[in-house]
This record gives sequence, C-alpha cells and structure tokens, in this order.
Amino acid sequence: MSASVQSCAQKDTLNKFGRATRDLIRKDTMSTEQQAQETQGGSEFEREPVPQNRLLGFRSFVGMYAGEHTAGTELMIGPLFVAAGVSAFDVVVGLLVGNLLAVLSWVFMCAPIATRARLTLYYQLEKICGRKLVTLYDLANGVMFCFLAGAMVTVSATALGVWFHFEMPALDDLYPNSIGWVIAVFVSGAMIAVVAAYGYEIVAKVGEVSAPWMVLVFIAFGLVGFRQFLDATGTQITNLSDVWTVAKTHIWQGGPPHPGRVKFTFWHVMFFAWFCNVAMHIGMSDLSVLRFAKKSWYGIASGTGMFLGHYLAWLAAAILYAFQLHQDPTNTKVLPGPLAYQAAGLAGLICVIIAGWTTANPTIYRAGLAFQAVVPKASRFWVTLATGGIATVAGMFPAITMRLLDFVALYGLLLMPMGAVIFVDFWLIRKLGLESSFAERSGAAFNWAAGAAWLVTLAVAWILVKYVGLQIFFVSLPGWFIAAALYVGLSVVYQKKFRPALGQAKPGPSVVQA
Amino acid sequence: MRTILIVVALLSLVLLMLPSILFLAGRMELDTAKWIMLLATVLWFATGTPWLWKRTG
Repeated sequence: MSASVQSCAQKDTLNKFGRATRDLIRKDTMSTEQQAQETQGGSEFEREPVPQNRLLGFRSFVGMYAGEHTAGTELMIGPLFVAAGVSAFDVVVGLLVGNLLAVLSWVFMCAPIATRARLTLYYQLEKICGRKLVTLYDLANGVMFCFLAGAMVTVSATALGVWFHFEMPALDDLYPNSIGWVIAVFVSGAMIAVVAAYGYEIVAKVGEVSAPWMVLVFIAFGLVGFRQFLDATGTQITNLSDVWTVAKTHIWQGGPPHPGRVKFTFWHVMFFAWFCNVAMHIGMSDLSVLRFAKKSWYGIASGTGMFLGHYLAWLAAAILYAFQLHQDPTNTKVLPGPLAYQAAGLAGLICVIIAGWTTANPTIYRAGLAFQAVVPKASRFWVTLATGGIATVAGMFPAITMRLLDFVALYGLLLMPMGAVIFVDFWLIRKLGLESSFAERSGAAFNWAAGAAWLVTLAVAWILVKYVGLQIFFVSLPGWFIAAALYVGLSVVYQKKFRPALGQAKPGPSVVQA
Repeated sequence: MRTILIVVALLSLVLLMLPSILFLAGRMELDTAKWIMLLATVLWFATGTPWLWKRTG
C-alpha cells in the first residue's frame, strides 16, 4: 500500500487502502521467502512496521469493514437463527450486545497491538512462534478458509436454482440431493476458482463497487419481508409496539427449534455474534488491517460491519425465512436464492450471486496462499485452482452451509488461541520476566510453548464440548484464558529450561512502540 | 462528467430503497417494486462502476 496520508484527498486514501486490503489478503499468508522477495521489491511492509507517513484515516476502515461483513453467508445465518427457535428479544438484544462486544474486542484487544507493533499477523506470529509453527497455523487457516469458501459457493448456487428449477438441498441434508445441484455448485465453484487462480483484483473491485448497493438490497429484503408479514397476518401497524408484536408473535416466535437443531437463547445469540469473527479480533487476524490505522480507536470502524452486516442483514434475512415458514411451515429449506428472489426479484438474485462470489473469491485465494506457504515450491496458480476445487466439492455437501452456525464457531475456536498467545506475548510476558518474540530471539523454528498452548487449548475445548456438554458457541471465552495461562506457564518452563533466549538478539514486535 | 456519474449513482441508490419503503407503506405493488429495484441495480452498476472503479485504483 502506498498512501500519502494528510495531504491526500479521500480519493487517494481509499484507493490506497483498497490496495492495502487486497495486499494483506495476498500477503498475510505468504511464505517467508515470498514475503522477503516482495519486501526486497520495496512494497508493503510485510516484515517491518508500517511507517507513520503511510497510515490511513478513519473513513478508510469504515468502508472496508462495512463491505467485508456484508457477505453471502449473512443470508444463511439469519434464517438459521429462526430455525434454532430464537425469540425476538433474544435475537434483537443478543445481537446488539454480542456485536457491541465484538466491536469492543477490535478496539481494545486487536487495535492497540496493531497500532503499536504495526506488523502483519503473519510476521508477528513468526517472531513469537517460529516459521514451522506459523506454517502449521497457515495449514489450519487454509483448511477452514476452504470450507468457508465452500459455504459461499453454496449460497451462490442457490441463486441458479431459481432459474433452472433443480432440486435444492433441505435444511437437514448432508449430501447433494440432485444432479442439477451438483452441476450448479460445480459451475459456480469452477468460475470462482479460475478467477481466484488468475488473481482476484477484478473481483475485489466488483466487491468494492457492490458494497453500498448490497447493503441497501439487504435492508430492502427486511422491509419487503416485514410488509408481507403484515399482509399475510392482516396486522395494522400504528406504533412501534405493533412492530414489536409482529416480531415476537410471527417472526421470532421463540418456540422449539427445528428437529436436530440447538435451541438458541439470548446467550447463544450474544456469544455467536461476539465470536463469529473471533479469529479476526481476539484471534488477531486484523492486526494486518489495523496496522495501518493512525489511532487504535479506529477499531470502532468495525461497528459498520457488525451493525450493517451482522445485525440488519441477519435480521432482514431472518424475516424472509420466517415469512417462508409462515406461508408453508413444511418448507424449512434455507435457500438464499429463492428467499431473495421472492422479496426483490432479479435484483435480489444478483445480490445473492455477487455476495457469494465476491466473498468466496478472496477466501479461496487466501486459502490457496495459506496452502502455498506449506508447499512453497508449488505454483500459486495451480494451488489456488486445486483449493477452489476442494472448496467446490465442499460446497456440494450442504452439511457445511446448513450447519454454518456450528462451523463458524469451530472456525473461530480453532484460530483464537493464537490471538491469546499474541496478546500475552505483547502485554504480559516481559512483565513476568520472560522474553517476548521468543522464536526470533532464540532462532527457534517451532516455539513449543506457543504450539502446546494452541493445541492443548483445542484439546480442552474438544473435551468440554464432547464430554462436559458445553456447547461449541461457549468454549471460545474460557478457551482464551486457558490458552493465555498455558502460554505463560509453558513459556516459564520452555524459555528457562530448554531454549535460553539469546541476549544479543534484536528487539521483537512488542518493543516497537508507536 | 464525473459529477454526473456520482449524482446518478447516488440517485440510483435512492431509487433502490424507495420501492421497498413504498411497498412497506402499502403504496406500491411488489412486482412494480421489483422492477424498479432491478432498474436501480442496472443504473448503480452502470454509473457507480466507472466512478468507484477509478477511485479504487
């Protein structure tokens, strides 16, 4: 990214921030060798702090977060809340509190480190964990991105079903249920994979152009769906109290969940909203974004994504699905294409396709880069294409998309412990008499304290879910404290007994203070 | 020219929202609203694309 900040017009700033966001997708998961080569080429501060004259203003982050969190999968999540039998109060207030906590996590957990160290997540982790452990993290990241992209391909394919009238999967389907569905996902996935393999620049631009339009179409879904409820129930609205009555008696009735679904309460909604992006805020992925922020409070810009994408869009999509159930209680299918089409016609279908496409494409690209970091000699083109192929096959299986709430919780949980490691390494570890950035200082390629903190936390989380009966939506919070405590405890043993740090080594990221 | 593009693009966003608001108020049929939203979509991409594409570099 190359921004000249104060003297530039907003045009320039946005232009350069657009490049920055694309570059971070491209480079944050890049191998060390690749990053070193690009840095030598004089580009994007992948292995050095972002200098003061390249920092960006608040408005750049507002647009970026609004676009990033208004994706095709939002059209799945809102309806899945309804399928989980959530009540109006639980969803409206739970989302409000959960999204607020998510924004605060960006502001107080991620942004302060990002604006002090000004390093990418990848480089920060490499300094702490060593190259081999970061590669393992990349692999986990890549696999999860693959499945997430698969869900986005699925969303796009549901739009094709409206045109071609093939059988589409039901809420409880695990496997593809028609040849038409397989072909639709294959066509959608193949197009996305090929574009990703050639480079995502054009799709990224389409995403940027689409973002304001898409947000408004999502809001239109809600307005249209709400009117349809009024007509179908013969309700007259004279004040806000009437709106609330429709919401709690017709849309989010709070009854039993659909068979096989977990009943969602206020706490489920709140924790889901808070932790669905845990990888980005508490998990620190957005260090790569917010390292360009002039001030740490710019993290509050994430509020646009949370309250447009994860509040209005989820509620609007839920209204459409609830209306579908109102019309035909046996039709429990969660299919964004038909839902959008009945509310907004062709504009709605275009929205579903673009929302799925523009988010799946960079996700596949990012997954491809993560895998390429594991196999650095492989061609990026072919790795990305193969990654797209895996995502496409994953997209054919509706189990992932129809269980998106669980998958998103798992995705966050898997990556969150490394955020705890970074947090502790940055703020606490030197106060405890230990070395920060231990891998860099000691030359270790695999910091076992960090690696064990990550893996043991995941093992404990699995035990809590499997044997204690704690639902997956609730394990990330205790998991963070477990990971933090483990990293401190294991570092005491590891640093003092096994890998004495080298006293003369250069300072790590935590001493690069702004 | 750029100013015209920006104005039309912004107006297309207004045109996109208006039908759903009028439908909510019971002053427009859904089919009409859908067609106007499609028109607004075409307008947005026709005018917003050259504007924002250039701006995003």
